[in-house]
Amino acid sequence: MKVLIVDDEAPARQRLADLVGDLDGYEVAGLAGNGVEGIELAEESGAEIVLMDIRMPGMDGIEAARHLASLEAPPAVIFTTAYDAYALEAFDTAAVGYMLKPVRRRRLAEALERAGRPTRAQLAQLTPESPVRTRSHLAVRAGEHLSLIPLADIRCFCADQKYIAVHHGVDIDLIDESLKALEEEFEEQFVRIHRGALVALAHVDSVRKDEKGQLRVRLRGSDEELTVSRRHTARFRQRLRSG
Amino acid sequence: MGGHGDSPKAAERPESLFLPDFCAAGAVLAVVLISELVAVVLTLARAGIGYEVPFWVDLARNSLFMLWIGLSSAAVLCYGKRRFARLSVGHAAALALVMLVTVTAVISEIAWWINSYWDSLLLPPDDDTSVSNHVIYLSRNILIALIVSIGALRYFYVSDQWRRNVELEAAARVNALQARIRPHFLFNSMNTIASLTRSDPVLAEEAVEDLADLFRASLMDSDHLVTLKEEFEIARLYQRIEQLRLDDRLVVDWRVAGLPLKAAIPSLSLQPLLENAIYHGIEPRPDGGTVIVEGRILDDGRLELAIENPLPDGEAEARRQGNRIALVNIQERFRLAWGGRGEVEFGPSDGRYRVCLRFPVTERRSAVGIGAS
Repeated sequence: MKVLIVDDEAPARQRLADLVGDLDGYEVAGLAGNGVEGIELAEESGAEIVLMDIRMPGMDGIEAARHLASLEAPPAVIFTTAYDAYALEAFDTAAVGYMLKPVRRRRLAEALERAGRPTRAQLAQLTPESPVRTRSHLAVRAGEHLSLIPLADIRCFCADQKYIAVHHGVDIDLIDESLKALEEEFEEQFVRIHRGALVALAHVDSVRKDEKGQLRVRLRGSDEELTVSRRHTARFRQRLRSG
Repeated sequence: MGGHGDSPKAAERPESLFLPDFCAAGAVLAVVLISELVAVVLTLARAGIGYEVPFWVDLARNSLFMLWIGLSSAAVLCYGKRRFARLSVGHAAALALVMLVTVTAVISEIAWWINSYWDSLLLPPDDDTSVSNHVIYLSRNILIALIVSIGALRYFYVSDQWRRNVELEAAARVNALQARIRPHFLFNSMNTIASLTRSDPVLAEEAVEDLADLFRASLMDSDHLVTLKEEFEIARLYQRIEQLRLDDRLVVDWRVAGLPLKAAIPSLSLQPLLENAIYHGIEPRPDGGTVIVEGRILDDGRLELAIENPLPDGEAEARRQGNRIALVNIQERFRLAWGGRGEVEFGPSDGRYRVCLRFPVTERRSAVGIGAS
């Protein structure tokens, strides 16, 4: 069985790698230093089990596991943590496997034996208690491949028939989520400008009033001008000022 | 950043609220007792030769009068409570004094008038109700009220200070235990050492020694003072252990040359701040960052130590629950050690988080122990 180790601390990775190497029937498929790297390596190496640290900078373990769960053949995930009083209760409730560091050899063997794939529902249970409520990346599936868009790169979400078009850099990707849920999750970074679009406050380049008195927004890295509907004008102005 | 006058914001009640809550039954009972005591003293002082009113009648009269003043004063102080909170101790005491004397003056005046209609109801029988007697009566009462009020206020202030210190010391002890070593740090260090025993036994050995010294320092009394040099050593021990784990993600820039290394400082006041800086400022950042420890002598001769860390990226990380136990604990210990001259200030400044310690330089002979050779 191929085991991938994801942890931001080098000694912690090394220790798990040593222990996994000692066990018969298991081999280390790779070592990753954060969530994003972990997802890439999981796809590349075809790891069957991922040992995932919970607290990592950038993308934490819980978010990485949520993205992994959307893969065609998601690997089993066992979370590892040195100390996380609040998280452990949530893990017990969701019946997701975890290990406490420093991990005992025997405990590791048992956990690997029983490793299961956490379902999206189980992972969703972890989120309310987790330190990071919003995702740092959005996962887009293109065939077999899972690509991650950093939230900071996203200019706007525009409703496009039954999908949402994610505008970032020079690309547009489609995701299957609701605009309302996105608005709630990313309320700190994004603001609604009309019924079908959320724009990132950080990407607003200029705002002007057109002949009809309506606000028109230009976003950085795009030539297109978006119209702010009258209903959303007051709120948009307020957010722009405070943000 | 404000001047030295800015005191740290503690989540405690302001010191000017040294008076007990006069809206509560306990304090009202105390007022009744004090009033009775004064009534007894006054009666005793007057009883005897040349004063033919029976003792018990006089006591009853004085009690009625004193209770009237006492309970009215309690009501006024109860009403004025909220105002005291916004004043300094001196102003609050002066205001309370003015209130009490005014209450006495007003009630004395009323008593005088009542007495001129119903003879000897409240005052001893006296044929002479002349103006000069009126003035003497009023000023006598005001003077007594002034003396008794000053005594009572002083009593309340001293007992409040005493209770405050007991509470502070108790809280400092408890908090010290919680603030010193985070479980997070302990378990991560154990994990690092477990890893090193295999890959680098010599380094593992050193890490165990560092950890042992750090724990020994943390088991000392919370009011223990060490020299600045020793405190720096402890902080560096801590940094060495974290460095193993975080590697080049952690950089600590020590700008502490030329400081009086013999200056006294409560033990473990710098280390928890370094720990906070790393936990909140370095660990959440994928590329890590630099913690700056900077020391200097201020114009007023005090020493200033500042610990600065970058703020974590992203809104979500900023929301991470802050552990203020360490900060509050250090604040309490600085107050116990130096009163108003020991200050702890903290808050974001210019995109970084900065904690500032300011305290007088007092030399201390080097203590024994603490890993430093």
